[in-house]
Amino acid sequence: MSPDPQLRFEASGVALSLEVAGLGPRALAALVDAVILFVCWVMGLVLYSVAGDLLREVQALSVAGQLAAVIAVLLSGWGWDVAWEVLGRGQTPGKRALGLRVVRSDGAPVGLAESLVRNLLRAVEVPLGYAPGVLAVALSPRRQRLGDLVAGTLVVRERRYDLSRYDPAAGADPRFASLRGRAGALLAAGEFERLADFLDRRAELDAAPRARIAALLSAALSARAGSPAPDRDLAEPFLEALVAAYAEGR
Amino acid sequence: MTADGPGPSRASGVGAFVRARRTSWERLAELVSRVDSGRLSLDEVEELDRLYRRAAGDLARARAAFPGTDAEGYLSQVAARAYGALYRRRRGGLGAALRLARDAAPAAFQAHLPALGLAFAFLAAGLAGGALAVALDPLAAQALVPPEVRDAVAAGHLWTEGLLSAAPGFTGSAIAHNNVSASALVFALGLTFGAGTAWLLFANGLLLGAVAVHCLRNGLGGPFFGFVAAHGPAELSAFLLAGQAGFVLAGALVDPGEWPRGAALAARGREAARLLAVAVPVLALAALLEAVISADARFGAAVKGVAGLGLGAALWAWLLSGGGRTPR
Repeated sequence: MSPDPQLRFEASGVALSLEVAGLGPRALAALVDAVILFVCWVMGLVLYSVAGDLLREVQALSVAGQLAAVIAVLLSGWGWDVAWEVLGRGQTPGKRALGLRVVRSDGAPVGLAESLVRNLLRAVEVPLGYAPGVLAVALSPRRQRLGDLVAGTLVVRERRYDLSRYDPAAGADPRFASLRGRAGALLAAGEFERLADFLDRRAELDAAPRARIAALLSAALSARAGSPAPDRDLAEPFLEALVAAYAEGR
Repeated sequence: MTADGPGPSRASGVGAFVRARRTSWERLAELVSRVDSGRLSLDEVEELDRLYRRAAGDLARARAAFPGTDAEGYLSQVAARAYGALYRRRRGGLGAALRLARDAAPAAFQAHLPALGLAFAFLAAGLAGGALAVALDPLAAQALVPPEVRDAVAAGHLWTEGLLSAAPGFTGSAIAHNNVSASALVFALGLTFGAGTAWLLFANGLLLGAVAVHCLRNGLGGPFFGFVAAHGPAELSAFLLAGQAGFVLAGALVDPGEWPRGAALAARGREAARLLAVAVPVLALAALLEAVISADARFGAAVKGVAGLGLGAALWAWLLSGGGRTPR
């Protein structure tokens, strides 16, 4: 299966797209929700036991109280996801934590009917250990489980973007001032993004591979600029200056 | 689309483009997340709409000039979220639930009467089969009636008595949960081209028919029908509705018409959802009746019967007479 399928839809004449979420984040989100629900139940039971004899309490409840008990169980068993998805714009707490969102296949937020269907279909998935759901997510082009296919919904992932990479860096190395005004011609837009990604994440790399990548990149790019490759210790300052010059525009 | 202001030309690069527009994008993102969590003033809603249109224009420009950049991805995401937020405001929340109850659910019900007939046929066949089997050969009860029920009946009382005197509240919620699960399964198994739905309807009918006749033969007919009188009609009705919804799904798979199967499934799934939106609250109500009224000896059989049949009749009358306007 191809990575990162997209949901494409059109709204007021503009083509929009959202990234479809894969199995991993969705399973994690479900786990987060299950833990929260479990903690809620344990806390409720503990509070109840502190207050007194559980069985007698329930037996002594009025009709309204028993109604509340019935509704509480129904809500936690089936309604947790539905309520959160409808009122929370497609996000349960677990999905919110993972940056996931349920949307209709036309990009609109899920309504009560869609949420009800996609969650009720867990009835066939849960007893089989979610196997049909996992298979359907893996095989369907838009990563839909059975409930999603029937309800016409899917789960999208919201990425965190950092627009500050487009800010001109203040302390660009003056030795590479000649790059200013030329960077736009040296880099394609996609190359700029990957270069900025490397600079953002280089602190996570080990020293040796980090230096090797920087040297390779700076050699290739300085060749494009028609200048000799910078020294090894100047490779990263060169790349920084290039990114800064590109972000600055001409 | 947005000819206002000195827009960045293509030549000046993605950095200048982002710097020129970033403030308004981030304002848009902030307004959108406030739609999620709270309310906006009228001015802010207008601002949201204006910013969304500008962002949509910016997105079109980013697509053309800077494809594959984070700027394009960010804009696409913000615009899609804003579209969702604006769309939802037009759609309405509680009003939609009201429309569902008044128009959409009865209309879906009436549009799929053949599916209901099919569900009824399987349930009735099960009922008749179970009843006939036990009536003709009492030994059939060994196979068809659950052991705990047989033990209780052999001891001369209904299995429900011990169960319910323990904790009515708990039993009520357990019953509701069980019924909702069973109904959800009847619906969901429509995906097996209807085979699973048909089997579950038949099997439940078989069980009910066998238990009823087994109680009758052992002189417990009165208590049994007294017990099911209050909640039975509503519960069976909801179960039938879930079966109807299941066959609606199956119909989309068996005969998708001119649509691809996936699209037909999504469209009919929406119709089936309207039936489920009726069935689930009715099941909750039936469970409440079962826990509170059915098990309580203070209510006579007549009271239970009137309550149960009244509720069932009201449900069918509403589904058959309501609607008239086609749901959107």
